Amino acid sequence: MISRGPWSDAPKAAAFAEREFQVCIAARLVEDAHTYWVAAGGGPMYTVLLARRLYAPNAIYVTEDGIVAAEPVLPLDPVMTVVAERPSFRALQWTTMNGIGDQCATGYMDYGILNTLQLDPHGNINSTWVGRYPQQGKRINGPGGADTIAAQCRRVMLLTDHHKRKFVEKVDFISSPGFLDGSPGARERAGLPRDTGPWAVVTNWAVFDFDESTHRLRLRAIAPFVTLDQVLGEMSFTPVLADAIGTLDAPTERELDVFRAEMDTRGQFTDASDHWIIREDDRWTMVAKEKPAGTGLL
Amino acid sequence: MPERQLRILEEGQGQYLPVDPDGFRDATGKKSRALVSKLVSAREAVERYVADGDYVVWECNYLQRGPSLLIREIVRQRKRRLWACGKFTWVAIALLVEADCCDRADMGFFMGGPGLNRAVLDGRLTIYEYSNVVMTARLRAGAMGATFVPVRSLGGTDNFRYSGAKLIEDPYTGKPTVVVPALNPDVALIHVHQADVYGNARIFGAGITDVESALASKKVVLSAEEIIDTEDIRHNPGLTKIPYYVVDAVVHAPFGAYPGETPGRYASDTEHVGEVFLSMHSGKLGEYLEKWVRSVADDREMLEKRVGTAKLESLQRRSTRKEGFRP
Repeated sequence: MISRGPWSDAPKAAAFAEREFQVCIAARLVEDAHTYWVAAGGGPMYTVLLARRLYAPNAIYVTEDGIVAAEPVLPLDPVMTVVAERPSFRALQWTTMNGIGDQCATGYMDYGILNTLQLDPHGNINSTWVGRYPQQGKRINGPGGADTIAAQCRRVMLLTDHHKRKFVEKVDFISSPGFLDGSPGARERAGLPRDTGPWAVVTNWAVFDFDESTHRLRLRAIAPFVTLDQVLGEMSFTPVLADAIGTLDAPTERELDVFRAEMDTRGQFTDASDHWIIREDDRWTMVAKEKPAGTGLL
Repeated sequence: MPERQLRILEEGQGQYLPVDPDGFRDATGKKSRALVSKLVSAREAVERYVADGDYVVWECNYLQRGPSLLIREIVRQRKRRLWACGKFTWVAIALLVEADCCDRADMGFFMGGPGLNRAVLDGRLTIYEYSNVVMTARLRAGAMGATFVPVRSLGGTDNFRYSGAKLIEDPYTGKPTVVVPALNPDVALIHVHQADVYGNARIFGAGITDVESALASKKVVLSAEEIIDTEDIRHNPGLTKIPYYVVDAVVHAPFGAYPGETPGRYASDTEHVGEVFLSMHSGKLGEYLEKWVRSVADDREMLEKRVGTAKLESLQRRSTRKEGFRP
């Protein structure tokens, strides 16, 4: 999963925001000539857009409004990531939400990419509620199309910020399914198609996959600017550890140039990062980053 | 005949709009099939076709080729106790809840902010949990005249527990299968690129469930950027997405999706989009509604006095990728 690629020997950036690192790592995992159903906007969409520009030009993506295999005009206007001219441009098909749902249900979507507010050791996702549902706490957006993506795509990549409050032993609400209780056949017993489920979790510090027998989150590689203790310290449960934990390559200058010029042009995605990462003489430092008051306009 | 029972393995506890396909056929049976003009103002359309307590579905949303002017008109007319189909919607539910128009919603996707959160905790808004695609599947079942539809998602989630879904032993394979109830809303609000006065409608580009919602709903209100001649419809009938006899009202609505984009016509007003998001997240949607909705008589006055011709023209000029959005 963590392999060498064109990025390995390319010049690396001397400074970047944590979420920039996350998107670059996720983009390197995108497979050419495969189909992706991506959440409309934010990290999931940037992941596939960046991959298409640099590493996987024939990766195909669809969004839940029915845009299939577009060659979008970048950058997109705030919020206008779907049902709009620029994301629709030069698509191969314009269909509908039921149209995309059918394509996914019949098995044509190889990968899904999703954001997660909270996730548990089995990759179950909460995007509905923080606190005790439904009496106490805070209402969040709801699953949107993520429930279908998580249920039916063959492999699902999850993106999340690396925080203790994100990796929890039990999510407050299962909005979109991971491996449920982790037992063999749990998804099938709930009516979901076989051979589906979460495949990778990419954070701003680390990459995980899932243990084949226990379906538990397994740490595969960490960023060059954090230690294993730091990574585990920002999780509320202990993941399975792979036999060898790899070290991820820092973003390349080229990755950041393309990402900043064409995708995250207003800093709308990476402004929410907690830290700048700075490299001097091959030593990494993490500097607290001011977060501008945003309106969530991805 | 072997005696067999359909086994229900698990059931959600959420309320759902009662399923009644014959009652729905009674409603479609009462609609006129005559080719008569259905052109009305937005005010008349909402007065006549949106009733307190109705289940309402709108297509797309307040920011993306949706019937934004009809949503504003619902706020202006202070409709009450609406049950909203909250699929693929950013700010519309929060606006309707702020205006005290809506007390139930099937979700979907929406954004809330502190105002909506308070409404949920105070019990002024009850939410039943589905997902976007499950809601569009329910609408498709409604448009099929069916009573339910199987979906291979939702199972195992907490949405399932708070929805009208059931997990059954599938009668054909014997495997566990989730089924969800068909949805036949009282009224659908759909923004289209072109329609004739009878309601034959064209929509260009991707979308959510325009056609399914039109067929599945008892009352159908279209807002149309452009009213075209029926002769044009007859010359290219393959472009007709919605046939006239399902439509009850047609509102001529240039910039009807403002502040959102209508692809091929105008870009979104990014400044306004920012304002409505910021208002929502800072608990100031009341001020937003006062400024943009309640302090003006109708959408025409909003476009003239609050937006202005220069801004509207600039939005039209920013629509530059028109390929595929015109006949």
